[in-house]
Amino acid sequence: MSSNFQWTRKDLLSLYDLEAQEIEFILDTAAEFKKVSARKVKKVPALRGKTVVNFFFEPSTRTRVSFELAEQRLSADIVNVTASTSSLTKGESLLDTVRNIEALNVDLLVMRHPVPGAANFVAERVGAGVVNAGDGAHSHPTQALLDLFTIREHKGRIKGLKVAIVGDIMHSRVARSNLWGLLKLGAEVTLVGPSTLAPREFEEVGVRVCHNLEEAIADADVVNMLRIQRERQESGFFPSTGEYARFFGLNSNTARFLKDDALIMHPGPINRDVELSSELADGSRSVILEQVTNGLAVRMAVLFLVAGCLKK
Amino acid sequence: MDNRVLLRNADEMRAAVEKVADSIICEFGQSGLADVALLGLFKAGVPLAGRIAEVIKERTGVDLACGTLDISMYRDDFGQRTALPLIRETEIPFAVDNARLILVDDVLSTGRTIRAALDAVTDYGRPALIRLAVLVDRGGVEYPIRADYIGWTLQVQSDRKVLVEFSEEDGSDGVYEVAWQRRAE
Repeated sequence: MSSNFQWTRKDLLSLYDLEAQEIEFILDTAAEFKKVSARKVKKVPALRGKTVVNFFFEPSTRTRVSFELAEQRLSADIVNVTASTSSLTKGESLLDTVRNIEALNVDLLVMRHPVPGAANFVAERVGAGVVNAGDGAHSHPTQALLDLFTIREHKGRIKGLKVAIVGDIMHSRVARSNLWGLLKLGAEVTLVGPSTLAPREFEEVGVRVCHNLEEAIADADVVNMLRIQRERQESGFFPSTGEYARFFGLNSNTARFLKDDALIMHPGPINRDVELSSELADGSRSVILEQVTNGLAVRMAVLFLVAGCLKK
Repeated sequence: MDNRVLLRNADEMRAAVEKVADSIICEFGQSGLADVALLGLFKAGVPLAGRIAEVIKERTGVDLACGTLDISMYRDDFGQRTALPLIRETEIPFAVDNARLILVDDVLSTGRTIRAALDAVTDYGRPALIRLAVLVDRGGVEYPIRADYIGWTLQVQSDRKVLVEFSEEDGSDGVYEVAWQRRAE
């Protein structure tokens, strides 16, 4: 990458918007922030005097905790707003809520919202920087970035790697975000799941779609197992959790042909022994807890970069 | 890079690096150099620290520990720019606690980079002492900071910038004066 490239965005909304070199720039920045968390003093003064609002209109534990810790390690001041405590329950519109918050001179909004495009909608209308922490099935850019970071740390590169993403592709913002990030950096992506959850339409963007797990993962360098939401069963996307686990769950039987150096990833929280067996989730090929560690570094990098470009 | 004026050539640069190295040897003495470490500040302080270490090795046989420091997370103008350059790799391969540490930068100008470097390095530990080595003291410090080992003291107008180039990074050695360009604005 050209060392003259400079970061200029005040928002991070989706990896779809970014150039490959911007994604690599974030990953390189995250590598330096990962070291901060390994020091005795796990904090830098970069965001001193800046205020960040964590706006979570959907339940989230790990993403919110990760963002909050990232903000603290950057020395920001933090306010947490969740759906149940916000005036949205009193019928206020999203825009009014956000405008009121901005009137308090907030610098950054970290936003999780069930409606796809909600973060984009807000970012276009406020001067504060906006970081999308998940908007419906659309996008979850920091999750994809931490996955890319973890893969790159283990494999040394992204380009040319074979990555299988397995599970409920259709409803997953993790799958969508990963897909754009991986494609932009030159990986070969295979989406795996029952045809109801991994429809062929995805082939149009340049990925392989496969309905047979064993076939799809045989030559994979990375297998990213998505959480299967039990409510999808009630909506008829698959017949039973047991049947899903038998055909699309990664376990000692289905993983027979998985390469010895393949990475097993999961964005959490895991349904143990449904999409992923405990044995593999806790085994030597699993990098699931490293993903959590790297998520902190990636979020510090993203917050640092967008906060550094707020002045217009 | 137009209108740049050569201030010092490669031979003169070598002499200035030797002057800095000799002042360091003079202060600590051969036996005292053992627990001295150099910390080069990005960008040009890094190759400069390497050059100083080379001369000290030639003169005394002592191999000084060398590290690199990026101060992006500690700048006092964070959030006031419109573009951010890549953070470079901070690597400190020695214990900072109780070290006798010499910060190395190419040019001492406002002193703000050094202020940030002091904050950064003390987040890694509590050195026994910190000194500052620069190739050029160009005048104009805005903070109460001064260098301990100096190649040259120059008076440069405030609308001009001093640029130090190293063959490792830029193809050849030389010190230049150029028109000041605000970064990415």
